[in-house]
Amino acid sequence: MISIDRSIIFQIINFLVLVALLFRFLFKPVVQALDKRSNHIREEMEKIEKEKKAAEEMRLKYEEESKNIHIKFQEMQEIANQEAVKIKSKIIDEAYQESEKIKQTAEEKARIEIDKLYSELKLDIIDISTEMAAKLLRERIDISKQDQLIEQLLEEAIDKIEIKSDVQYGQQQ
Amino acid sequence: MDSSNKEIVKFITPFPMTESQKNMVKSKLSRIGNIDQMIFQEEVDPSLIGGIIIIFGEMLIDCSLRTQLDKMKEGMI
Repeated sequence: MISIDRSIIFQIINFLVLVALLFRFLFKPVVQALDKRSNHIREEMEKIEKEKKAAEEMRLKYEEESKNIHIKFQEMQEIANQEAVKIKSKIIDEAYQESEKIKQTAEEKARIEIDKLYSELKLDIIDISTEMAAKLLRERIDISKQDQLIEQLLEEAIDKIEIKSDVQYGQQQ
Repeated sequence: MDSSNKEIVKFITPFPMTESQKNMVKSKLSRIGNIDQMIFQEEVDPSLIGGIIIIFGEMLIDCSLRTQLDKMKEGMI
């Protein structure tokens, strides 16, 4: 016959009671604490994930904005280049027109100066020629030539006076 | 006209006039006026070069070479 020691039964009961007490007062709070910790970690992870996602969105947004700014900058640079080309062309045109104007004015002044010099030279030549002719005539005019001159020139003058007198007389008639 | 109603006619020449020149001029003037009613005066002006200027009343007959040259000069200008 199997004899069971009473102390073993008590030890088993004590063990069960201990297990029940441990489960009730130690294991459960530990599990709850672990669950709570786990939940907290999960929430933190979710929060970090959200922040990471927000940061990624923010990065993408900044990248997009940076891209747009770069495109905008390139467009503005292109416009500025076109404007610079226009201004350059305008400045060159204006400079060319100004130089043409200066050239025309200089040419006009030169032409006027040449005309003036030409006129002065012409007058000088005429004066010199006339004086030379007068000098030559003075040297060559003698009594006989003076006779011829008076004869010829006075004849022509008297003829003209007679013709004029005839015309006036005819008009009076 | 002077007091005897004769008209003064002035001859201006570059040289003193000879008698034959005076007679020739008077002869030609007789075609346009009565030389008996004229008193002749003479003046020498070497700048005329040649020919004669006759001042006859209000009339000026300029037959000088100086005037001919001046006209030629004006024509060239």
